[in-house]
Amino acid sequence: MSGSSGADRMLRPALGVVGAAGVAYGLYLLLGQPPDRTVDVVLWAAGSVLVHDAVIAPVVLVLGVLAATRAPAWLRVPLVRLLVVVGPLTLVAIPVLGRFGARTDNPTLLDRPYWAGYLGIVAIALVLTAADALRRRSRARTAP
Amino acid sequence: MSERSLTGLAAAIDERLPTPESFDSGLRGPRTAARVGVWLGLSFGVAFVTGVFSHVAQGRGADVPLPTGPAWLYLATQGVHVAAGTAAVPLLLVKLWSVYPRLFERPPRRGRALVLHLLERGSIALLVGAAFFQLVTGLANSAQWYPWSFDFISAHYALAWVAVGSVLLHVAVKLPVIRRALAEPVDDERGAQAGGGRPADREGATTPAGGLTRRALLRTTWLAAGVTVLATTAVGIPGLRRVAVLAVRSGEGPQGVPVNRSAAAAGVAEILTDPGWRLRVIGPAGTVDLTLDELTGMAGRTADLPIACVEGWSAGGTWGGVPVRDVVALVGGSEADDVVFRSLQERGAWRESRLPAEFARHPDSLLALTLSGEPLHPDHGYPCRLIAPARPGVTQTKWLREMEVVPA
Repeated sequence: MSGSSGADRMLRPALGVVGAAGVAYGLYLLLGQPPDRTVDVVLWAAGSVLVHDAVIAPVVLVLGVLAATRAPAWLRVPLVRLLVVVGPLTLVAIPVLGRFGARTDNPTLLDRPYWAGYLGIVAIALVLTAADALRRRSRARTAP
Repeated sequence: MSERSLTGLAAAIDERLPTPESFDSGLRGPRTAARVGVWLGLSFGVAFVTGVFSHVAQGRGADVPLPTGPAWLYLATQGVHVAAGTAAVPLLLVKLWSVYPRLFERPPRRGRALVLHLLERGSIALLVGAAFFQLVTGLANSAQWYPWSFDFISAHYALAWVAVGSVLLHVAVKLPVIRRALAEPVDDERGAQAGGGRPADREGATTPAGGLTRRALLRTTWLAAGVTVLATTAVGIPGLRRVAVLAVRSGEGPQGVPVNRSAAAAGVAEILTDPGWRLRVIGPAGTVDLTLDELTGMAGRTADLPIACVEGWSAGGTWGGVPVRDVVALVGGSEADDVVFRSLQERGAWRESRLPAEFARHPDSLLALTLSGEPLHPDHGYPCRLIAPARPGVTQTKWLREMEVVPA
């Protein structure tokens, strides 16, 4: 450990300086934009943090508390795994599920049956979750 | 706690806000954060490198020569770019979940400690803000959804530097914590054998996921990243196209190739069939106007080249037409010259593109007149478009009006 901390004495400042330079360059590029656009960028960045910290994270927290207090023990792990897989997938799917960018003049864009595909994945995830939960329940019953 | 002396409303609010100790899941904390963070940092690094490559290829970054082959090079780097960004979504969410209690840490009340605390908070805010911005705008751009006023490319490029810079800064600050966390076992001894619903340890007993080990949580996170990437971007991998049920394009389109911008959207649909169309070619030896028949007479080369778009989709086509270098020679240009292509479009950021000399002299760089043996579909650039290997789709200018040979 002492060897690595010795190397860190060099590595940490170096990483810090390079990182700070990258941030500074990015902010410089950003400020080169027209002011109203820069404001819009800042709003989108801050807004997405706010949506996460004030909406997504508390919702996950509440789901966790509900799982801990309402769901039987054998169901909790399968539920957590379902949320970790389906939650992010749902967020990623929003632009195609909503087809917000679709254009009548270009049928080659957003041309898949997205709801069918999305619900198909969710259905597979639910079946696997149910199978996992049933397996855990029968194991919990046979255990002393 | 005793040194703090909040009064009145502030104290009332403070009392109601949770503190880091209010969160009881034993699975949060550095051991989870460091392990997810390694992969999150890697995915941001990969997205950054491929993104800068794309920026240079689009002629917006530094003026450095890029490899002209293999033809699928840009397709591969851009596919990796989108896949890395997509994988980062579940990674970022789990990473933030693992450190969420820190959000409720109370700042020290005075002096140096407060300044340092605020600096660290500020750098984290910058990191998370830039990271979310990149993922949100990148995903929306893939689906051609622009619910904002800023220019996507400039903003995405600027915040890429902020994101990657603040990742490095964060690693610099946290390195001792990261090393310690990675050196510790993933799960505690007794925790490792849990899984049958038995409380893992003191903290595990109250976790909402009672019985979930850290190892299982991490594996589920990797699974989430894999599923998300496959569902959205596997469209570029042969044989997996049908798995990508959330891909922004199926890969179908007129003449077997999808369209990024249609002739109608570009405002050129009405003028394409004008029998008076000529391709104006400007070079050191003078200017030549070529009719479609004259170009067809010079054509004789076909090339199998992909159209690879920044959104990470691509489709191969067999293009027929005149090698760019033949037309360059016609107006006295040399193999050391760049070529500027101009479209019939009157508006649009990509109505003009510059083909660097190393691409212009490549035998597969074509003034394409046919796709799959038929005249180009209007949406593919009729009567004549540029197609070159290993180039971003947006620089493959359609509906050509003019090409000019210029010194590199």
